[in-house]
Amino acid sequence: MKAVILDGIVLGLGLGLLGVGLTLVYGLAGVLNLAYGEIAVLAAIIVAQLIAGGVPAGLAAVIGVLAGATAGILIDLTLMRPVYRERGGHRVLLGLLLTLGLAFVIEGVLTWRDPLGALSINVAGGPVRILGVPLAVGSVWASVIAVAVGAALLVFFTATTFGRAVRSVIQDELGAQLVGISPPLVRTVIFGLSGALAGLVAVTQAMTAPVSVTAGFNLTVLALIVSVVGGLGSVPGAFLAGVLLGIVDSASATYIGHYITSIVLLGAAALTILVWPSGLLGSHEG
Amino acid sequence: MLEVATLAAGYLGQRVVEDVDLAVRPGEAVAIVGSNGAGKTTLFRAIAGLLRPLSGSVVLDGRDVTRWPAHRVAKAGVAYVPAERHLFPGMTVRTNLALGAYPHRPDHETLQLVFDIFPALKERLHQRAETLSGGQQQMLAVGRALMSRPRLLMLDEPSTGLAPKLAKDAFEALRGLKQTGMTLLVAEQQVPLALSIADRGYVLENGRIGLQGSPRELDQNPEVRRAYLGIA
Amino acid sequence: MTAVPRVGRAFLPVVATAVIIVVLPQVWFGSSEYTTGLAVQALILAAYAVGFNLIFGSTNQLFLCVGALAGLGGYVTGILADHASWSIWPAMVAGTLAAAAVGGLLSWVSVRRSLGVIFTGIVTLAFSLAFQDLLLGVEHLTGGSTGQVVTAAAVALSDNRLGGYYLFGGVVVGFLIVFRLLQISHFGWAFRALHDDEMAAELAGVDVARYRIYAAVIGSAMIGLTGALFAYSDGFLSPPTFAFDQVDVRVLVLVAFGGLGTLLGPVIGAVVFAFLDYALINSGQLRELLYGLCIVILFLGFRRGVIQALGGVAERFGPGGTGAKRWRRPAQIRERGS
Repeated sequence: MKAVILDGIVLGLGLGLLGVGLTLVYGLAGVLNLAYGEIAVLAAIIVAQLIAGGVPAGLAAVIGVLAGATAGILIDLTLMRPVYRERGGHRVLLGLLLTLGLAFVIEGVLTWRDPLGALSINVAGGPVRILGVPLAVGSVWASVIAVAVGAALLVFFTATTFGRAVRSVIQDELGAQLVGISPPLVRTVIFGLSGALAGLVAVTQAMTAPVSVTAGFNLTVLALIVSVVGGLGSVPGAFLAGVLLGIVDSASATYIGHYITSIVLLGAAALTILVWPSGLLGSHEG
Repeated sequence: MLEVATLAAGYLGQRVVEDVDLAVRPGEAVAIVGSNGAGKTTLFRAIAGLLRPLSGSVVLDGRDVTRWPAHRVAKAGVAYVPAERHLFPGMTVRTNLALGAYPHRPDHETLQLVFDIFPALKERLHQRAETLSGGQQQMLAVGRALMSRPRLLMLDEPSTGLAPKLAKDAFEALRGLKQTGMTLLVAEQQVPLALSIADRGYVLENGRIGLQGSPRELDQNPEVRRAYLGIA
Repeated sequence: MTAVPRVGRAFLPVVATAVIIVVLPQVWFGSSEYTTGLAVQALILAAYAVGFNLIFGSTNQLFLCVGALAGLGGYVTGILADHASWSIWPAMVAGTLAAAAVGGLLSWVSVRRSLGVIFTGIVTLAFSLAFQDLLLGVEHLTGGSTGQVVTAAAVALSDNRLGGYYLFGGVVVGFLIVFRLLQISHFGWAFRALHDDEMAAELAGVDVARYRIYAAVIGSAMIGLTGALFAYSDGFLSPPTFAFDQVDVRVLVLVAFGGLGTLLGPVIGAVVFAFLDYALINSGQLRELLYGLCIVILFLGFRRGVIQALGGVAERFGPGGTGAKRWRRPAQIRERGS
């Protein structure tokens, strides 16, 4: 039982980190980035190629995260321009379609160049015992990183000037402009941050299991489920949702079965939307 | 400080405001009066950068800010308080004020100044903006604008949604501000209120400047009296 | 009486489409089974798309579960026919009804909880993915990933591609007729009203919730029926056929491209994408990449759909159309509480 819960938490922290990137962009820009998982995979492949080329893993990981950030910024500056000009339902749809197309492009390029590509990061060391349960050292590292990043993000959004500026754009974009905040700039930065988080997720996931070239869509769907359950736009929500869903997934996979687990997770997402549409810790959408 | 020349602005090609010339000198309080639909808000949005003018120019301290986006104009020292206020609803009074000082950290002196003018805000520092009453929200909006130590304070219909007494109080506060040397540009439907603090006034009618002059001149003008004060 | 000629003009695009469908094989396909097969695929997608267009294009409900609804229609048909020994026609009716019921339920839930576009999309996407897992999980009924043969299927249709072509051609024309009928009826009036401004429609007395559910039920029935007919004509069912990335992505893209809410949008979109698929077939591994590029470029260029871009040529015939000229509220409009 303890093992199940701890496994769930480890998994869940990873899920939370995955969800944060997507939820931030949605909360801020009103865009559901369906290419999110692909950015993570792109970063993963870049890191894999660098490592294969002899670059030390740590440096390669950093470059991977930066690559993710760059991808995010580029998407915002190019593809998202026409999307931002639309409003409401049209913005949602156009954003969906363009990022979907982009997802195909990225996955197409990656599978064409390197159909069997995958990233795997082996962290040296034997299993770590936490509360008597042996956990793979890679998983533990991944969780620690996730928690550290999550804490950093919380500090960023509540205590820094720019973080407050981001929240202000979410609450009232016009009001933000009136105090001198540039919403386009904020969006670009957050898109970049989201991309960086995607890259980080790829790296940390790779410490537990290989991230393959075809994992993109699954990652996007998982991120979506976590974001929605946690409340679109909420960082702590994403982590909370991630951990809860991670435990559910772990318990379900242990006691029930593989396909049912997926159905349970999806059901959880749907149920949350129906019962608490703003999610567990949904941010106020002024 | 502010010079607007032959400004035209509108939406979807429709010109709401046409051929507007106005000027605001440092330390002055200028009022724009006009009935609903005259174009006051459109004019203000065009000056503040929320709306791109169709033609004409807006010059601030010698710099051409006509095509500048709103956040740039704000950074250049123009604080605009729209009629709808646009506060950050889920954030506290304190955070709203702090954001007013963006990109700088809030300055204690300025904060004190705001509390002196609006003591009610100090009492409600940790209350969420959306839970404030209309009058308190108005105070917060002006307070937030003041946090950036603006050179020019623009207010669009500050009396909106305020009971007559509160509206009067608001204009009293504005008079106080003026006395500290603040430059004011105020758009207001309620002519007596507007003229009570203004050094000069413009009358905006159907998008064009009809009359201009000192409060006394405007007040005694029979057209103004008939149209806005209902005196036949 | 002016009603008859007006109605005649309203159906002109449908008739034109029907004529083209009938004539096309002689003119274009020759006896190439491959081309015919592609055309059948296009027709099936077009049929799905008309249903989706009714649900999303007309009433703004983003149902990302077209594949699942079709799969529901197909698998219910197959299971009833094979495992429960039903005869094929009642089985297909059951399949259609199952899809209609689920679609209606999803819509009802969405309406009750006032879910917006994105949340409806996410809930239906969750359903879509869960359904796929269900199909794979319940192997003894569905044959799992290896698929199952529908023994009651019409053998003649699966071997003779042209038969399938005419079957689905007829289905598409039938759906277009239904769509057009809805457009010119009080349904269409209500749909346009709630599409443009939901709150205004409510205030005008249109029971938005009810019309949304109607649209969802009819659209889902269309999709389910197509799935059921697929089971009947193809004879082989497997989960990937109805997967999100096979069906929904294509339908979404082609309807948005052809023009949301327009009559012929789905058909035009299906045709264009059939050509696209055909052109890309030899690109091998580059296919996905090029497909994605096409989507991006097309939507950067045709933001509101081809039909809108072309000035709504197809919609100029008839009293329907996107700019409702009928300001008189039809007597049969269902009011709230009635």
